[in-house]
Amino acid sequence: MSEQKNIAYINDQPFEFEKGEMILSFVRRMEQSVNVPTLCDAPNLKPFGSCRVCSVDVALEKNGKAKTMASCHTPVMANSYIYTDNERITRLRKNILELVLTDYPLDRLYESKAGKNELQNVANQLRITPDDIRYPLGKNHLDRKPDTSHAYMRADLSTCINCYRCVRACDEVQGEMVLTMSGRGFDSTITMGMNEGFKESDCVSCGACSQACPTSAITDIFNSKQTVPDKVTRTVCTYCGVGCNLDVSTVDGEIKSILAPYDAEVNQGHTCLKGRYAFKFYDHEDRLRSPLIKKNGEFEEVSWDEAYDYIVDKFTEIKSNNGADAIAGISCARATNEENYLMQKFIRAVVGTNNIDGCARVCHSPTALGMQRTFGTGAATNSIKDIQFTDCIMVIGANPTDAHPVTGAKLKQKAMKGTPMIVIDPRKIELTRYATHHLQLRPGTNVALLNMMMHYIVREGLVDSDFVEQRTEGFEVFKESILKLNMDELESITGVDKNLVRDAAITYATAKNAMSFHGLGVTEHFQGTFTVTLIADLAMITGNIGRPGVGVNPLRGQNNVQGMADMGAQPHQGAGYLEVDDPKNHNLYQDFYGVDLPLHAGYKIPQMFDAAIEGKLKGLWIIGEDVVQTDPNTNHVKKALSNLDIFIVSELFMTETAKMADVVLPAASFLEKSGTFTNGERRIQRVNAVVDPLPGTRVDGQIIVDIMNRMGYKQPDYHPKTALEEISKIVPFFKGVKWDELGDNGKQWPVLEDGKGTEIMHTETFKIGKGQIQFHHFEESSEILENSESFPFILTTNRELEHYNCGAMTRRTPNVEILTEDALLINTQDAEGKGIKDGDIVCVSSARGKVDLKARVTNEVKPGVLSTTFHFPEVLVNILTSGVVDSEAMCPEYKVVAVDVRKARKTGMRKLGKVEERKVRV
Amino acid sequence: MSENLSKLAYRKGLKNPLFEKLVTISKEKRKPGAEEMRSLAKDFLVGNANVHGALSFYDFLSEEHQSKKVYMCNGSACLVAGTQDALKKKLTAHFKEEEIGHMCCLGRCHENSAFHYEGKNYSGNNGLAIEKVIKGKGENLDIYHVQSNLKDPILTNPYPDENSFFEFVRQCLTRDKDELLEEIKKSNVRGRGGAGFPMGLKLESCKNVPSDQKFVVCNADEGDPGAYSDRYLLEKQPHLLLFGMLMAGYIIGSNRGVIYIRGEYPESITVIHEEINKWEKIGLLGENINGNGFDFRFKIIEGAGAYICGEETALLSSIEGQRPEVRVRPPYPTQEGLFNLPTVVNNVETSATLYYILKNGGAKYASLGTGKSTGSKLVCLDSLFNNPGMYEIEMGTPLSEVVNDFGKGFKEKVKAIHVGGPLGGIVPVEKIDDLTLDFESFASNGFLLGHAGVVSIPEDFPMIKYLEHLFEFTAVESCGKCFPCSIGSVRGKELIQKAQNEDFKIDRQLMDDLLETLEIGSLCALGGGLPLGIKNALKYFDKELKTYFA
Repeated sequence: MSEQKNIAYINDQPFEFEKGEMILSFVRRMEQSVNVPTLCDAPNLKPFGSCRVCSVDVALEKNGKAKTMASCHTPVMANSYIYTDNERITRLRKNILELVLTDYPLDRLYESKAGKNELQNVANQLRITPDDIRYPLGKNHLDRKPDTSHAYMRADLSTCINCYRCVRACDEVQGEMVLTMSGRGFDSTITMGMNEGFKESDCVSCGACSQACPTSAITDIFNSKQTVPDKVTRTVCTYCGVGCNLDVSTVDGEIKSILAPYDAEVNQGHTCLKGRYAFKFYDHEDRLRSPLIKKNGEFEEVSWDEAYDYIVDKFTEIKSNNGADAIAGISCARATNEENYLMQKFIRAVVGTNNIDGCARVCHSPTALGMQRTFGTGAATNSIKDIQFTDCIMVIGANPTDAHPVTGAKLKQKAMKGTPMIVIDPRKIELTRYATHHLQLRPGTNVALLNMMMHYIVREGLVDSDFVEQRTEGFEVFKESILKLNMDELESITGVDKNLVRDAAITYATAKNAMSFHGLGVTEHFQGTFTVTLIADLAMITGNIGRPGVGVNPLRGQNNVQGMADMGAQPHQGAGYLEVDDPKNHNLYQDFYGVDLPLHAGYKIPQMFDAAIEGKLKGLWIIGEDVVQTDPNTNHVKKALSNLDIFIVSELFMTETAKMADVVLPAASFLEKSGTFTNGERRIQRVNAVVDPLPGTRVDGQIIVDIMNRMGYKQPDYHPKTALEEISKIVPFFKGVKWDELGDNGKQWPVLEDGKGTEIMHTETFKIGKGQIQFHHFEESSEILENSESFPFILTTNRELEHYNCGAMTRRTPNVEILTEDALLINTQDAEGKGIKDGDIVCVSSARGKVDLKARVTNEVKPGVLSTTFHFPEVLVNILTSGVVDSEAMCPEYKVVAVDVRKARKTGMRKLGKVEERKVRV
Repeated sequence: MSENLSKLAYRKGLKNPLFEKLVTISKEKRKPGAEEMRSLAKDFLVGNANVHGALSFYDFLSEEHQSKKVYMCNGSACLVAGTQDALKKKLTAHFKEEEIGHMCCLGRCHENSAFHYEGKNYSGNNGLAIEKVIKGKGENLDIYHVQSNLKDPILTNPYPDENSFFEFVRQCLTRDKDELLEEIKKSNVRGRGGAGFPMGLKLESCKNVPSDQKFVVCNADEGDPGAYSDRYLLEKQPHLLLFGMLMAGYIIGSNRGVIYIRGEYPESITVIHEEINKWEKIGLLGENINGNGFDFRFKIIEGAGAYICGEETALLSSIEGQRPEVRVRPPYPTQEGLFNLPTVVNNVETSATLYYILKNGGAKYASLGTGKSTGSKLVCLDSLFNNPGMYEIEMGTPLSEVVNDFGKGFKEKVKAIHVGGPLGGIVPVEKIDDLTLDFESFASNGFLLGHAGVVSIPEDFPMIKYLEHLFEFTAVESCGKCFPCSIGSVRGKELIQKAQNEDFKIDRQLMDDLLETLEIGSLCALGGGLPLGIKNALKYFDKELKTYFA
């Protein structure tokens, strides 16, 4: 039987259509010369059919009796004849538009010269002018008052045409459902929340509505959609590991607004308030604009040459007096791959030590290690797009709707539509609202809980024995141990009903495709690496590896935390994850860099601080990490830093850490440089400079190269193209990466020599052959064992949507008007017991120190558990956190701190960090 | 038509859905406060905005509506009958002006002078009667002629002997589903809600969609002013409706029937409740009712004053607690209906035919009528007829027979009859003899059988007023989603008002453009159907109307 082609005719020309395709997309795909106008249709929204402007005539035979159909939601019928702009259709469109314009402020229609108003574009296309309106003035909504209540969002509904795009974007894209139509018929109107303004509503400022609006009736303070740019630069967001693509508009070299490109594979026209709106830090008056050297306790502005000379002299001196191992570097997960590569190369090949680490140490180092041990590769096994193919989602120790908002929105969308979701988290995070299972465990007991799940899976006979047999090793030993566990005991350790755990385990194990996501709630623990190992075990014993919709998917915190490790900013592995103490690799690197290299691994970050206190470490260069505010046990960190002979910080702003430096180098932000970032799904994407570096600042990559050359190592000037060329020769999975071939959407590593990327890993085999199933017992953290008697509460730390880590950037944007301070979440019952009311200032103390915080009484946390953020330097929450680290990767245990809490004696707050004046310019 | 909202609503199911909660609150004569709405939103996993948005859609849920004590019918039949001015005068003796509200069509078109008071409908213009009603002593008598020209009526037989009826129900539930479906297809019964889609094909299509959960929904939101045939069936033949829905469920593999009854018909809701209780008691509803694993239960949803809910996709959204805005098709309800699951939506009258079809065979049913339009049609005649009432007429019967033999002609001089509700055609009396009562005759003559309610327009009722009424009806009832209907209905009304009240003539080209835009551009039959009657009037009452046009 010959295959029948699906043919339909557009204006009498035959074309082949795809089954189920709507007429509008068919016409757009096939006939570029035809422009079917629409007002309610948008690229990332489902067909809605309200404006009817896209109507076409459809006949069953050539020039036959036609029926008028809205093309956006009418599927193409085989052998039908579609007429896109005959007389009747043209008349219909004009007549509809005439009706629309009877309730539109006509003076506003033509005020935008560049044709950014979609309504204006359609009016122009149909050649309608205000003079064509034949209806006498009637009822209208031209006197609606604008809403200017919000830090970012704006509404002027007098220009609203009721196309519902904003309502649909809020629902279908973000899943927030803050917007609705209210009322009925002609009088219906867009409403925020329960007829509030944006500010009072639950709006998360993602801007999806603003980007969707065809008339900018809903817009933002930047008037993003109406901007008439000189230039639009596509780049990648710096705020998290999702890696959203951004279209940044500039006028006269100044950044005016940001939109999310619809063709971005990562974010499909969506992004969050950080990516879309929090860019005004870039030319904030607080930006450092000159190198500084501390002389007699005060910073003095110096020339770049002086700063370089100072650094080179000091490093050379230390190297000759104390040896290369007395110097260390902390590279930056916010910087590009190329810069990270150069920094580790500088420390290794120029200084001559492996004392290079990065902030992955304090976030996902256990992920890298745990996944390397089990799968052989420390990176996400699958892609974000696999969310659409999965049948079960497990989210453990992550709060993606705040910390990875675009991925979070996708997960939420999936859960809302009924895909079973298991959330394992001590807090009732937003996803628990839609999740089918919430296992609200005591912080620090992930290992116990995962062991319970796997115990039930093994006991219930739900193991995928084919997969286990063919693809893995170690199951028999694992099985023996897991079956021996006592569920009642683990139930009391985790505080989660064992039946709930059993249900969740069965849901995961019986799903056709189950996918897990994890974040810092997994890694920042004493048993962080072991938890990652168990998540990998869980995937392996249920056969959830190597195909769409499955896998183990760490939600990488910083935009390039994946790339930083890939590039070798780790003390034990060089570029491409080769162990530096293996003689074979050692030779490879020596040949490649053309110098002698040390054969022993270097210090990890916590070891650097210890070594500094001991006097063994003399010089440290930190690029873009505020360790004072964000590393645990602040007082310990400060002590270490003040003990150094030379402490260099490359920064955008005078952070708490920069204040302690001897030399401060003013660096350029992501908007001012080019290179590549690798997102959490191994996607290497091009970062393109939007504007020139602020006068006085330099790109990190160039700074490193300058110092390399001054210290006698010939390294060409920083350019991503040449740097990538070098990287592709040493990092095996970058083999086929070429700057000019990355395109808009980048490539997922491993990238083979022919340039082909990889969406899903481990499809046939693991890098290490067979997957390693490993058993680990739960072990209580020493923080609890030693301190819980005097400090009976457990404090855990989390993130809020509006701020990014130490907040150095987001606090210098209007985000700070939305979320103004760190707060302590405390359970209602505990608050009552301690006489604490919502909004009270409370004193939280640990074995390390005490801080004051404002209490938020909530049932988000269980009794006995407290939670807070460390976005603000005023509080310095990390004064409380401990020195306990992951037993394997040395990632600090931010998530379990033994504390006590009481109402503060004084009403004012104890200020520890200097309060920076927060000036927000727009 | 939010997929998220549909699926979130499904989690809560039909036990005590959001919309029902809102209606219950409204019956306490109040609007939920902000805290209450927030807590509802939290409970139902939706945004605060969604609760607010849904609430703001319905007449009965508005504060304005709740502030009234008595509600006068303002449907077409009461309007043209001219009874409401007198009624209002009488009501003002007992109520303040601001305590008198409106409801659109209480289905008392046979008598008019209709009003609603404390959960019951009344009609009659007798001052004494009104006083009795208010003192709680009035009876809501509801007497109208019911007759048929069929020897063995399909829909208007008296309630059968219960034992043999229920025995027949049980027997049907053991019959082969395909065989039952075959009978229905053979009968060629077409949807009575207006669109005339063959019911057998609809059932078959839904039956073929694989799904663990499906729904049978009855559209008992008979909003067309002039029609009260569904009300008749709900109140006098409830067993026929339950039977039809149960069998539809049995055939397609659904265990859940939902009957959406308009809030304007309180008596219908009571009767259906009682009938369901009766069926439950004798074990014909619940679990395993046929001894073969077939479960079936009913849920009644009470409407809250929105004509658009008679549009099937809006009705589904209403049940889900969403704003009842018309959805795009495809997907059709048989694929993605209630809660996005396969659903058969049928009108009351359509469902009620199944008893006759399955008892007598599809062929017997098909032998009645014209072949294309089979069986009978219920026709409602308003109070301007000498014999107002609800008549079951075999398809294909001359319309004159209905008007003259059943209706016994008009009480006063009538110039046209509006058949098929506000979206139907306006038939000038001289065209009555040309028409037979079936889908095809009406369509080929440029009219619409629709739901076959008949509103008589008296000779002295200005046609321009009637057109204003039609535009206004659409303007008030438009869901607001599609541009042609939501804006066009208002502009049409304004043009007609301006032409009556000011020195202004309507540009005929503009009116023609507006009508074409509504007709071919609207998303659903509300905007799309409005022009038919207007166009009929412009054609047949050109002389009367031309003074208003340029």
